[in-house]
Amino acid sequence: VGRHCLRAHLSPQLYVRNAIPMGTTAKEEMERFWNKNTSSNRPVSPHITIYSWSLPMAMSICHRGTGVALSGGVYLFGLSALLLPGNFESYLEFVKSLSLGPSLIHTAKFALVFPLMYHTWNGIRHLMWDLGKGLKITQLYQSGVVVLVLTVLSSLGLAAM
Amino acid sequence: GCLGVLCGAQGGRALFLRTPLVRPAHISHIHLSPNLHSGSKAAPLHWTSERVVSVLLLGLLPAAYLNPCSAIDYSLAAVLTLHSHWGLGQVVTDYVHGDASQKAAKAGLLALSSLTFSGLCYFNYHDVGICTAVAMLWKL
Repeated sequence: VGRHCLRAHLSPQLYVRNAIPMGTTAKEEMERFWNKNTSSNRPVSPHITIYSWSLPMAMSICHRGTGVALSGGVYLFGLSALLLPGNFESYLEFVKSLSLGPSLIHTAKFALVFPLMYHTWNGIRHLMWDLGKGLKITQLYQSGVVVLVLTVLSSLGLAAM
Repeated sequence: GCLGVLCGAQGGRALFLRTPLVRPAHISHIHLSPNLHSGSKAAPLHWTSERVVSVLLLGLLPAAYLNPCSAIDYSLAAVLTLHSHWGLGQVVTDYVHGDASQKAAKAGLLALSSLTFSGLCYFNYHDVGICTAVAMLWKL
């Protein structure tokens, strides 16, 4: 350990004082960049339209997509509870009065449960990554396929209940 | 990275000789990385909290199925809205650029999340509650 590194441990403030600081934060730099960039109206290089899609890439955006969709549903439900008249049962009675076919109801249940299951299983996959597990490329593809299979099976199972 | 280049060499010499510190020509900007012992721990704490909430929500799903009750209803309302709020917050951070827009979007999100949480609590209190509602919906 050199003299300069030892100084860092003994007196961090003194160590920093000898450096030449920039005077701008990362946030300020970002702000400057985006202001300059958007005002110059430059065309954007093609990126997602040309980059070769991979399974992990597609599953990642689907995780975000299902998350946003599910949140939308929850928020809509919560806001409806505050704003709409009547109670939950009355709305269910209304749906029952439409006499929808059982296959349509089954499909609707599947449509509700599918994004939830995908987000849940892929969420567990994410948590595994956060623990540092399964980050090899081959493992990424393997766990991805497992998530897809589990999603379909669990969605079918729940929709049948 | 280690700023020892300046600290050990010219820095030390400048302090000793009291000469003004000359900026080396090949370094035009130095970005200070956060020192281990200074700086806010807010970001890592937020990251960990997000994972904790995710795990909690994961546990609440089978719990809601096996033991539907009022406590689960309110826990679900809280954990679900918090998880959504933080998730949508990440989406805002990723796609909304500029200080003013970010602030406005985050404020709008906070308002919606708060309203949603109160709405779910209202539903739990005045109506059948989340667990029962799902059961009723599934019996359609």
